[in-house]
Amino acid sequence: MAASRKVIACATVIEEILPLLPDGVTCEALDFGLHLTPDKLRKRLQEAIDAASADADTIILGYGLCSMAVVGLKATGCTLIVPRVDDCIALFLGSHAAHQEQLRQEPGTYYLTKGWIEVSDTPFAEYERLVERYGQAQADRMMALTLKNYTRLAFIDTGHYDQERYREYARRMARQFGLRYEEIPGSTALIQKMLYGPWDDDFVIARPGETISYADFKVTATAGCHSLAVLVEAYPYGGG
Amino acid sequence: MSKKLIKAIADMKEEEALRLVKEMVQSGAEPMAIMEAAREAMDIVGKRYEEGTYYLPELILAGEMLGRITEIIKPELTKMPEVKRRGKVVIGTVKGDIHDIGKNIVAFMLDANGFEVLDLGVDVPPQKFVQAIQEAQPQVVGLSGFLTLAFDTMKETVEAIKAAGLRDKVKIMIGGGQVNESIKEYTGADAYGRDAVAGVSLAKQWVGVK
Repeated sequence: MAASRKVIACATVIEEILPLLPDGVTCEALDFGLHLTPDKLRKRLQEAIDAASADADTIILGYGLCSMAVVGLKATGCTLIVPRVDDCIALFLGSHAAHQEQLRQEPGTYYLTKGWIEVSDTPFAEYERLVERYGQAQADRMMALTLKNYTRLAFIDTGHYDQERYREYARRMARQFGLRYEEIPGSTALIQKMLYGPWDDDFVIARPGETISYADFKVTATAGCHSLAVLVEAYPYGGG
Repeated sequence: MSKKLIKAIADMKEEEALRLVKEMVQSGAEPMAIMEAAREAMDIVGKRYEEGTYYLPELILAGEMLGRITEIIKPELTKMPEVKRRGKVVIGTVKGDIHDIGKNIVAFMLDANGFEVLDLGVDVPPQKFVQAIQEAQPQVVGLSGFLTLAFDTMKETVEAIKAAGLRDKVKIMIGGGQVNESIKEYTGADAYGRDAVAGVSLAKQWVGVK
């Protein structure tokens, strides 16, 4: 029997996954709004994992640590693969290192991608809601407070053919809220590797019955048993 | 009046809330009763956020209101003999993170509870914490961060404090986002707090206030 894989991913990441999805691999998207409540996201993910476990021998999670939502997840009958990143920004940028570099340069960055604009999680959408509820003056004050530590709006160009209107939306938003507009090139490198392997140090691998822990995400921390197992397999003769 | 105040804060009526606080102060209300009302209102705001009727801007405006209310009643609070300065806290959002709503609420509440608070702001490099500890000699240091990436800089900050030979001089608490026991262990902090009330009780405990 061929190894069967399933991808469970956040709705914002699915846009980047679908064009690359290998033949025969199924994919399920979970609601984007879940990221606001990590406990609910964890619960929903565990349900999706349990439901998928019967048919898949490997489940790939299109997530990162996501505010610790993936910590505590396990699959009894199959292996779980999660990119070793904090959140989807690293997935869009192509690596944990690229995300860290952006953070070092300018932590006050509001990121936007096509996927986010699609699911309407943007200050623009928020602003419309606030105006309707509290009137324009108070909405302006609330937005100014919300964005007061932000200096830059970065549109991650993930290379979709219809990027232009999303880019225009992002530019318009930067203007309205007084942020500097910048474009950052995205990369599908990590998503590609997530779908096709090799699942090296860039991934947390939880074998059947193993629970994902925070330590698994910390390469520098005392290696958790799963990552240690992977290391031993990759470098069976020691050294390094 | 405090019922009205709770409602005003919870319903995002900033000017009305501030007006009520001023009236309450003028009519001789206990400053701690006002703080208690503000805290209750924050609980309601938190619940509405969890239920999905409020979003981030509401949380932030509520935090802002709390700050402005603290400013109004601070002179009254410091008049009370039992809330003499209890100790010093250096607090800040660690390098790489700019989220400060939680940190600000903790700072306001520490202030209202009689602590001298030195707030270093956001995206604070480890060395800036070290310098502030050397200069201000606080008993307590609060490291805040919302992003999971901030847990790494919390760890770096604790290490920098250790390297400067100051680790035994301060108690370090962490807070923000999804901090828990494993994050506490990872960062090397002394304790973590899940909300502002927890942060205040840790600080009180560490300076020996009941």
